Amino acid sequence: MKRISRLLSDRLALLSLAVLAAIAAAGMLAPWLAPHPPDEVNMALRYGPWSLHYLLGNDQLGRCVLSRILYGIRPSVLLVLAAVLASVLIGAAVGMAAGYAGGRTDALLMRLCDVMLSFPGYVMTLAVIGVLGVGLQNILLAFILMKWAWFARIVRSSVRQIADADYVRFARTLGTGSLAILFRHILPVCVPELAVVASSSFGSTLLQVSGLSFLGLGIQAPQAEWGMMLSEARQSMFSRPELMLAPGLMIVLTVSAVNFLSDAMQQAVDPQAGSSKRHQPERAEAALIGREVA
Amino acid sequence: MIRYAARRLLTAVPLLLVISFLAFLLQQLAPVDPAEAVLHAQGVPQVTSELIAQKKAELGLDRPLLRQYASWLASSVQLDFGLSYVTGKPVWSLLGPAFMHTLQLTAVSAAAIILLSVALGVYCALREDAWPDRATRGAAFLLTAMPPYWLAAWLVWLFSVKLDLLPTSGMDSAASFVLPTAVLAVGYAGVYFRVIRSSMIAGRNEDYVLYGRANGLTERAITRRVLANSLQVAVPMFGMAVPILLGSTVVVENVFAWPGLGNLSVKAILGRDYPVIQAFVLLLASSFVVFNAVSEVLSGLLNPRLRKDL
Amino acid sequence: MKHSRNALSAIFILFLIFASGCSGSGNEPAAEAAKQGQAREIIYASSKDINDMNPHLYSGSMPAQGMIYESLVEKTEDGIKPLLAESWDISEDGMSYTFHLRHGVTFHDGSPFNAEAVKVNIDAVQANAERHAWIKLSTKIKEVRATDEYTVQLLLDEPYYPTLLELSMTRPYVFLSPKDFINGQTKDGVAGYDGTGPYRLADQKPEQYAVFEANESYWGGAPQVKRITAKVLPSGETTLLALQKGEVNFIFTDDRGADGVDVEAMQSLVDSGRYQLLRSKPMNTKMIAANSSSTGPVHERAVRLALWHAVDRETIAGQILHGAESPADSLFSGNVEYADIPLAKRGYDLKHAAELLEDAGWKLENGGETRVKNGRQLALKLYYDAASSSQKTEAELIQSAAKTIGMKLELIGEQSSSVAARRASGDYDLLFNQTWGLAYDPQSTVSAFTAESSYARTTGGIEGVEELYAKIGKVTGTRDEEKRKALYKEILTTVHDEAVFIPITHGSMAVLAPNDLEGVAFKQTQFELPFELMHFK
Repeated sequence: MKRISRLLSDRLALLSLAVLAAIAAAGMLAPWLAPHPPDEVNMALRYGPWSLHYLLGNDQLGRCVLSRILYGIRPSVLLVLAAVLASVLIGAAVGMAAGYAGGRTDALLMRLCDVMLSFPGYVMTLAVIGVLGVGLQNILLAFILMKWAWFARIVRSSVRQIADADYVRFARTLGTGSLAILFRHILPVCVPELAVVASSSFGSTLLQVSGLSFLGLGIQAPQAEWGMMLSEARQSMFSRPELMLAPGLMIVLTVSAVNFLSDAMQQAVDPQAGSSKRHQPERAEAALIGREVA
Repeated sequence: MIRYAARRLLTAVPLLLVISFLAFLLQQLAPVDPAEAVLHAQGVPQVTSELIAQKKAELGLDRPLLRQYASWLASSVQLDFGLSYVTGKPVWSLLGPAFMHTLQLTAVSAAAIILLSVALGVYCALREDAWPDRATRGAAFLLTAMPPYWLAAWLVWLFSVKLDLLPTSGMDSAASFVLPTAVLAVGYAGVYFRVIRSSMIAGRNEDYVLYGRANGLTERAITRRVLANSLQVAVPMFGMAVPILLGSTVVVENVFAWPGLGNLSVKAILGRDYPVIQAFVLLLASSFVVFNAVSEVLSGLLNPRLRKDL
Repeated sequence: MKHSRNALSAIFILFLIFASGCSGSGNEPAAEAAKQGQAREIIYASSKDINDMNPHLYSGSMPAQGMIYESLVEKTEDGIKPLLAESWDISEDGMSYTFHLRHGVTFHDGSPFNAEAVKVNIDAVQANAERHAWIKLSTKIKEVRATDEYTVQLLLDEPYYPTLLELSMTRPYVFLSPKDFINGQTKDGVAGYDGTGPYRLADQKPEQYAVFEANESYWGGAPQVKRITAKVLPSGETTLLALQKGEVNFIFTDDRGADGVDVEAMQSLVDSGRYQLLRSKPMNTKMIAANSSSTGPVHERAVRLALWHAVDRETIAGQILHGAESPADSLFSGNVEYADIPLAKRGYDLKHAAELLEDAGWKLENGGETRVKNGRQLALKLYYDAASSSQKTEAELIQSAAKTIGMKLELIGEQSSSVAARRASGDYDLLFNQTWGLAYDPQSTVSAFTAESSYARTTGGIEGVEELYAKIGKVTGTRDEEKRKALYKEILTTVHDEAVFIPITHGSMAVLAPNDLEGVAFKQTQFELPFELMHFK
C-alpha cells in the first residue's frame, strides 16, 4: 500500500495515468465520440485540410482522420493492453505453479521458458506471421507466445524467494490451502515488479505493432491503426506532411505516458537509488525486459 | 573456469535442438503444400497431382516427420536450407549475404550504443539533476517514444536531402552507415544510458567511495572505479542487446533499403517464401542462444562470483 | 521532482524538432551541380532486383533483359521490322519461315552471331517446352535448321499467324552466346549473360544494384549513355528521397504495372524543374481477375457482375490516378486488333449491383452487413501488389463500395511474385492484374486464358469453357481473316459476359527522367525501354 501511495503522490505519474485512461476511454467510446465513420470513403474530400467538419482533415481516401485516430486506439492501444494482460496472467500462472511446486515441474517449466525466450522479439513475430499470415491478431498472438515466459520467470523467482519464508510455512502448518497462500502471500510480492515490466513492455509492443503495420504486416485495410495510418501517410510525406503528424504524435504521446508511468512505478517499487548490490543486476534486467525497442 | 564454460555451452545444445525442431515445424504449419509451391516456383505450367506426388517423393516429404527433421537438420548445419519458393535459388545464397550486411549494421550500431550509453550515463550521473542531465533525459524520453520510422524519415529528410551530407539509402559507403546506426542507437541508448546512470549514482553512494575520499583519492580516480563497477553490471545488458538488435533491424532496413535480414524476411513473408522464413528464424534464434551462452561465459570470466549460480 | 523537469525538457525538444521539420520541403541538392561536365549516366530505381538474367527463363527483370538480349524481329508501330534478322520469307502453307540473318553481329563475349547460334538457342528453349507452354509458338515448332552460315529455317507443325509476333517478345526467343550454355542447355542455368544487345551486364550485387555498360561494338552503333545502373529501392518515400537528392535519376513503370512513386510525387519532381514526365499511349488494361473455378462465392456469375458494377472507374482514373489513366469498360480497348466489337457497358451502379445479388439469392439477414446465401457469407479475398500504393488505394475504394452492397472484401497485400504464384495455383478469389500489353494483345493474352500458369483458373469455371478453349485453340491456326475476326468476337464476348476479367483502367508506361535526357521514347511493349536511343544534351 505504501508503494501505491508513493506512486500516486508523484504528480507526473498521475498525469500519465490520467492521459492513458483518457485515451483508453476514448477508444472504447469511439463509436460515440467519432464524428464520422472511420472507413467512410469520400473521394471528393481527398486530402482535405483541417476544417470545422473534419477537425483533423481527410486522408487519401477522404476519410476523417480524427475518427480514424479514435477508432485506431482500439487496435493500437486496447488490444495491445489486452495482449499484455493475457501474457501476464499466463506467465503468472505458470510462474506460480513452477515456483510453488518446485522440483522437476519447476525445472521443466523453466526450460520451456528458456526456449521461448530464445526467440528474440521480431523473430518470433515474423515467424508467426510468416506461417499464419499477416494480421493484427497474429502479431498479438506472437507477442503473447513470447512474453509470457518473461513474466513467468519473474513470478517464479519471487515465489521461490517467498515460498521458504517462515510466515508461509506457518500458514501451511495452520492448514491454509495452497491456493490461498499463493494469493494472499505470494502474489502481492510479485505484483510490483510485474507492473513495472508489464508497463514497459506495453510501450515497446505498441511501437512494434505499429512498426509491423507500417511494413504492411499488421492490421489490414480498411481498419484504422496508427502505424498503418503512418504508412499510408508516408506516400504523401512531402506533399502533405500533416497527415503524418496526427498518428505519429498519438504514438509518441501514448508511449511517453506509458514510459513515465513505468518509471514512476519503478521508483515506487524501489525508491532508493542505493540499495544493496545484489539487487542491481536484477533491476537492470527488469528495466530492460520490456524494452525491446522496435 | 573451463568446467564452467563447458557446462554453460553444453546446456545451450539441447536448447538449440528444441529451437531447430520448432523452426522445422514452421513449414508444417504453413498453409501451402511445399511440393506444390516448389513446382509453381519452378514455373511448371501444368501442376498435376502426379507431379505433386513425384515432387513430394523427390523432396522426401513422404517420410516420417522425425526422419525429415533429421535430414533437414543435417543439411541446415551445412548451410543448405533448400531452395527459395520465389527465385528457386538456394536459400543460403540469399540469406548469407543478407546476414553479413545486417551483422555489419548490428556491430556498428552496438558499438555506437555502448559508447553513447556509457558517455551519456556518466555525463548525466556526474551532473545529477542539473540542467544537462534533465535535458538529456527529456530528449531521450521523447526519442525512444517515437516510432523509429518516423524518426528515420525526418533524419533522412534533414541530413540527406536538405543538408546533403549523407546518402538517403542503400549500403554503398561508410557514410551509408551513419543514419541507420543513428536511428538504432537513439532507440536503445536512450534506454540503456539510464541504467548506467542509476548504476553509477548508486555506486557513488556506496561505502567504498566514502573510504576512498577519506583516504585522499581524487574525484577522477573514484569516478573511474565507480564506472568500472557499473560497467560490470552493464556487460550482460549490452550482451543481450546485440542479438536483440540483430533481429530488430526490420523497420530501419526497410526505410533505408539496407540489403539485410530484416528486408529479406519481410519480402519472404510477403512473398510466402517459407524456406527463407524458416532459415531466418533458425539462424536468428540460434545466434541468440549462442550469443547468450558466450556472454554468460565472458561474464563468468570477469566476475567469478557469478559462476556459482550454475 | 525529476519527472516534471523531464517532461518540460521533452516538450521543448519536441517543439524544436517540429519547428525545423515544418519548414517547407525539397530544396536543390548539391549533387546535381557536381555532375556537370562528368559523363552522365542513368540510375534508375526498381523495387525488385534484376534476379536471374537467364533469357530462357522467367525470373529476370524484363527491362534489363531487353537491354542485353535481342530477338530476330521487332514489333514497331508499323508492324514487324527486322532486328537480328534482316529479312525473311514465309512459305505458301505458312509452316516454314526462312530468316536471313544480319552479318557482323557478335555476342558480348566475342562469339559470332550466326545460324548455328540461332539454332542452338531455339533448341534450348524447346528443350524446356513445358515451361513455355504459355507462348503457343513453342507448341508449334517442329524443327530449326541452319541451312547456311546466315540462314535459318523454322519449321512448324501447323500454320500459326502470330509466329513473328511471338518471336519478337522479350523472352524466351532471344539469343545467348552458345559459350554460356551449360552442357548444351540453358534450362538448368547459364554460365554468363552475353547477348547481342546495346548493353551488357558489368556488375551485380544481389538485392542492391546492377550496372550495365554500353556495348561499344553494338551492330546498331554504340549507345550514347555509357552506363545504366539499376538500384533496388522500395517504392514510395525511399525512392522519392533518392530522386530528390539525385542519387537516382530515372524511374519507370515496372512489368507488373507499379510505379516507384505516386502521381503526385512525380508531379512535384517535375515542378522542381529537374525532371520530365513522359507517358506512353495507353498500352494495356488493368483489371481484376475473378477466379471462376474457386469454391467460394466468386464462382457465381452474378457475384462477378455485381462487383463489376461496384467499381467506380471514373473516380479511380480521375482522382486516384490523377487522370493519368483512362477508365476501361472492356478487357481490350477498341483500338486493339480484333477487339473493336460491341460489348455491354456496365457502369458504376450500386443499386443494380445490389439487385443482381438479391436476385441471385444473396440476402441481408436481420441487420447484418454482409449478404448470406445457404449459410455462407459473401466474403471475398482481393490480393494486391504490396509495392503499389495506387493498387492499395483502388482496392480500398472498391472495398468500401462493395460494403454498401453487402459484399465483404478482405484486402491482402503481397509481393508481386506471390500474387503471380496465386494466379497459377488458383489460390485466390480476386487479384489485381494487367493484360500483357500492345504487342501481346489480344492473341497472347487470349491464349493465356487456357494456360495453367496464367488464366486457366480464372476462366476455368465459366459456362461453356470447353467450347471457349476450343475456339482459342482454333483461332491462331485460322488463316482466313474474316473467320479469325468472328472467332475473336465470340471469345471476347463470352469472356465479357462471364465477367471473369473486371476491367478498371487502361494503363500506360510512365517515365520520369532528368530534364537533360533526350530521346526518351517507348517501345511497342510495356516490358522494355529503348535506352539505346537516349542521350544527354
